[in-house]
Amino acid sequence: MNTSTAPAILLVGHPNVGKSVLFHRLTGAYVNVSNYPGTTVEVTQAPARFDASATLLDTPGVLALPSRSDDERATMRALLNETSRCLVQVGDAKNLRRTLTLTALLAELGVPMVLALNMHDEAMARGVTVDIPALAEELAIPVLATVATGGEGMGELTSSIARAAVPDPLLHYDPLLEEEITLLAAAIATHAPHPSLAARGLAILFLGNDTEVDSWLRQHAGPAYAQLDALRRAASQRAEEDLPGLLARQRTEAADALATSVSQRAVRSSPLLAQRIGQAVVHPLWGIPILLGVLYAVYLFVGVFGATTLVGLLEEDLFDGILNPAVTDFVTTQIGNNGLSDLLVGQYGLWTMGMTYALALILPIVSTFFIAFGILEDSGYMPRLSVIANRIFARMGLNGRAVLPMVLGLGCVTMATLTTRILHSPRERLITIFLLALAIPCSAQLGVVLGMLGGVSFSALLVWALAMVGVLFLSGFLAARLVPGRRIPLVTELPPMRLPIAGNVLKKTTGRLKWYLIEVIPLFLIGTFLMYLLDRLGILPAIIEAGEPLVSGWLGLPKEASAAFVMGFLRRDFGATGLFMLADALSPVQAIVGMITITLFVPCFASLLMMIKERGLKTGLAMLAIIVPFAFLVGGLCNLVLTALW
Amino acid sequence: MSPHHDARLPLAFIPPGEEVRLAGLGDEIDALQREQLTAYGLAENRPLRVLQQKPMTVILAEEVELALEHSVARHIWVVR
Repeated sequence: MNTSTAPAILLVGHPNVGKSVLFHRLTGAYVNVSNYPGTTVEVTQAPARFDASATLLDTPGVLALPSRSDDERATMRALLNETSRCLVQVGDAKNLRRTLTLTALLAELGVPMVLALNMHDEAMARGVTVDIPALAEELAIPVLATVATGGEGMGELTSSIARAAVPDPLLHYDPLLEEEITLLAAAIATHAPHPSLAARGLAILFLGNDTEVDSWLRQHAGPAYAQLDALRRAASQRAEEDLPGLLARQRTEAADALATSVSQRAVRSSPLLAQRIGQAVVHPLWGIPILLGVLYAVYLFVGVFGATTLVGLLEEDLFDGILNPAVTDFVTTQIGNNGLSDLLVGQYGLWTMGMTYALALILPIVSTFFIAFGILEDSGYMPRLSVIANRIFARMGLNGRAVLPMVLGLGCVTMATLTTRILHSPRERLITIFLLALAIPCSAQLGVVLGMLGGVSFSALLVWALAMVGVLFLSGFLAARLVPGRRIPLVTELPPMRLPIAGNVLKKTTGRLKWYLIEVIPLFLIGTFLMYLLDRLGILPAIIEAGEPLVSGWLGLPKEASAAFVMGFLRRDFGATGLFMLADALSPVQAIVGMITITLFVPCFASLLMMIKERGLKTGLAMLAIIVPFAFLVGGLCNLVLTALW
Repeated sequence: MSPHHDARLPLAFIPPGEEVRLAGLGDEIDALQREQLTAYGLAENRPLRVLQQKPMTVILAEEVELALEHSVARHIWVVR
């Protein structure tokens, strides 16, 4: 919600047309920008650079209005609840028909508008030319070409905002529909007039079954809502087909006609290089080798460079070799050997354990992962990955779209849980969040697993990986059959393949790292402090004794491993690191069993909170109640099988 | 079935490389997904180019590249 009282400038448009880049250009504020639809999940606001009194709002992309998805509902709420000074529709210059289909609806809202045809460079490369003056005349609003990534057209855009005008309607619906719209608009104007949106626009959205407009009218019309609803039902009955579909079709036809009259498309003899690459990565023959190549490159960058080279430099050379001895010397010299020095630099010291884990072990791994993920996002590879993975995800009751939160989960499960909002149904979100919480290790944990099991043997690592994949598929397969509802087939847009811009990847990585460190460092310090307290108060030995039947009897681990599971309640990677510290005392089977159990064990505290935020307390706790015993069950079974075979 | 209907083919059966025109979206497609397809630009009479059929149907509608599962593409009717 706009916290300033001044009317806001709203950026609206289809997903992945560059609204967030434009927002950054106009405000200087950075919003997470990616080359796939659905990156902006909430409305963001910031003061405009070009006018100190103006506030700009970046809204999530809408595939169409009336709103159907969470993103579309968030945008509709912004339109309903903000006092709009003007709307800046950001459109894709190379897809004018689609852009104008949305314009046809926005134009009915009676708010001054500007149309920015973005990605003008891509349109030109594809031989698409738009007669901008003719389009501006038809719509009676300023229309301009922009290339937000290159900053082209920004000056013209800011001056156009000052000249924003209420557009001429793009179409007249057929006479019968016009009658229904007029009747309903008159009733809305009488019983629930909106401070800035035209009653006609609200009537069209209400007839199109927009749930946000429905709630707004229900709230503002009071008892007269029944009259509005009766008018809608009567209109639906009179229409010979699905009314929202009929309205949408007439808008599409009007947009088609206008697009045809103001644009031209040159016939191209061959596809562009970016299109060829885009097609190759989803090719039935080339797609898999390319995927394996991408995974190998990510492994080299994150697994070898991040988890081995950088961790080695930071942990062994910098922290263990220089910083920790120096800090320990300083602390013991200053305050002597006592409880306080133990708290700072002891076995469970805030510096020697908490900060060393967070900065030397975790930071290099997550940094390299987020850089790799950012490059893949901006290249346009991610949506194509969903095409390749679709068949596998279908067996888990999901579609390939779920691959995005799953891959992001390999970086940070908490962040990935939030990203499940890009999935279309509550069922898909529930299954994906469950699988993320159960079987997807975050990059920090993955780094610890690679470090520990890689040191044992390659086959140890392979057994762990097979156990994880097996659990993922088995639990996904079961969840698909137990969670009510049906699977939604995949229909996804494949954005153009683009060369990632280094500045954007770095900005995104910095933003994610900041978010991650703000979350991780306090939790590591709290976790270390709790471990210190439990140790000092003699509770830790008691927990270790109490956990012995389960940890030693069932899992076959040394009883000290109980401490790692206590740490795992706070963060899984923290728990895994706890096991890592015991590595010398563990046999290969114990190392594998320990890592399998801790990977499946409770999601970290922050992702548990995110699960509760996204799915509610009851569902969050229910997942926890399934995951903890399941982790010990699988761990114990692996212990039995591996002890017999190894 | 009328001759008009005889000319209609499911999008999933069109070989890669061919350009066709959309004739209609079948009722078997969920209403919300039909709206979604229309929003992507799949409206009657619009030209579509089929780029590939495996592992999914991939088409170019204007400059929008779309990937569709065969279960959806089977119920999208096109004419050559």
